[in-house]
Amino acid sequence: MRTLDQLFERSTRSLAQCTSRRSLLAALGQLLTGAALLPLLPVDRASRAHAAEGKPRPDSPDSCEYWKYCAIDGFLCSCCGGTSASCPPGTAASPISWIGTCHNSGDGRDYIVSYNDCCGKSTCGTCDCTRNEGEKPVYRPSRNNDLNWCMANADVNYHCTVSVILGVAEK
Amino acid sequence: MRSAHLLCAALSWPLLAAHVLAAPAPAPLPAEHISIEPLPPRSPHWVYVYDDVFDYETDARVYLFDGDRYRRLGQISGGFYSSISLSPDGATTAVAATYFARGSHGTRTDVVEFTDNRTLAVTHEIILPSKRAMTGPSLFNVAYSADAHFLYAAYMTPAASFGVLDPAAGKVLGEIDTAGCVLVIPSGHYRVSSLCESGRLLTVTLDAQGHETARAMSEPFFDADKDPLFVQGIATSNGNLFLTFLGEVRDIDFSAAQPVFAPPWSLVEPAEKGHWRPGAYQVGAIHKELGRLYVPMHEGGEGTHKDGGTEIWVYDLASHRRLARWPLKVHGLSRVIAVQVSQDPAPLLFAATETSDLAVFDALSGRLRHIQKQVAASPWILLNP
Repeated sequence: MRTLDQLFERSTRSLAQCTSRRSLLAALGQLLTGAALLPLLPVDRASRAHAAEGKPRPDSPDSCEYWKYCAIDGFLCSCCGGTSASCPPGTAASPISWIGTCHNSGDGRDYIVSYNDCCGKSTCGTCDCTRNEGEKPVYRPSRNNDLNWCMANADVNYHCTVSVILGVAEK
Repeated sequence: MRSAHLLCAALSWPLLAAHVLAAPAPAPLPAEHISIEPLPPRSPHWVYVYDDVFDYETDARVYLFDGDRYRRLGQISGGFYSSISLSPDGATTAVAATYFARGSHGTRTDVVEFTDNRTLAVTHEIILPSKRAMTGPSLFNVAYSADAHFLYAAYMTPAASFGVLDPAAGKVLGEIDTAGCVLVIPSGHYRVSSLCESGRLLTVTLDAQGHETARAMSEPFFDADKDPLFVQGIATSNGNLFLTFLGEVRDIDFSAAQPVFAPPWSLVEPAEKGHWRPGAYQVGAIHKELGRLYVPMHEGGEGTHKDGGTEIWVYDLASHRRLARWPLKVHGLSRVIAVQVSQDPAPLLFAATETSDLAVFDALSGRLRHIQKQVAASPWILLNP
């Protein structure tokens, strides 16, 4: 116990030597003010969590949660040199595709989205995204995302997938 | 204490030095000769792990894994977007794959390569027309007839058809149009059934030369709109069993000239329906002798049919009774995306996870025997002899 007493005494003295009462009060004041303000700030906790993990926001085309990607299975071309609707340089867009029906919470509408593969290079390998709303097995090809939709291209190697709005879905 | 150690070391140094000087030098290691490791005798506890390597998909492969010794025994090359089938006697692995002349691009070659499972060396190949179905894993992308006389390869351009191959002669015999129905479910001498969007099965009958002699369409047995059928069928003693997205069971007897559909039953209780469901890439496994069905199940809604199981549910096929629920998280396992069970009396259940581990369970008790970490990059389907 005596050793402990001496240890704490020494550390307290060291702290006192390098701080002043005023700096202590200032620090406490900052802490209290900050704590009082914290609940008042309009914080998007979801996006903070993503930011903390280095992930893009859900409304970003680089995010798998982006509304247009509701029936995608593959690599997001927006992470591979393209955009959500354009293929990366040097690839070729597939002329055939599968489709999905995705809800855009931004305008409250449902859209028909065409998922075309971009072809001719090996897999992009980043931003792998699998969502399967309304996706069907291969016996319904127009709704199937397992097929390599580069199958009809001159070069059938699969690189990434784009999501192209075809129009508003009729109810 | 430290001083005492130093003192002790200083005093004992002359003794140690004398001992070292007096001891004879150990014999040198013998010279080694490079060799090829032979495979051990085949075991029912081997499993073939198909790795799609989705991030680098031109380099798919198949790993042969020993479920008793927990080690990889070897590898079979897989090419791009490949499909695999084991011959009925288990002696051969057929890999249908696509290769590009310049690795990632260039002239496309579709091919079936045959590997001798006693040596893991490629024995021969059959060049296919550039029509091979490049789709998700199933047992019906490429499949042998029961007597191995034919190998059937699903084609999709996206027009659907299939190739009839002669694996012994190493040649393509012909192509059969399937009127929009897909995949090759083999039965008898020689029938090929395909799944149709209308919920029916098309069954084409061939003669011994591979020519079509008859075709017939079944009545609808699933509804692609209301409750789609997983194409990943599971072999039973007389046919195949299929599951639907909502957990309904369609057991089909393929032993007669036309498929016979058993009365449907459900994996889930009414209160569970729509909440608990099967999913992922290989949605079930069956031990034929024991009549046990193993299904990775998860809680989720529409659109979660590719989500892996958080539990494995075990069923008795005769009574349709659920025998057990085996939670996976308690073992530190992520969701299970593929399952396979060995067919011996002391069976092992293999379960591949979404984080690429392979768990080995006692298939009778559910006791976890082993977790092989990072067994592959994308272990999407498991096959066994």
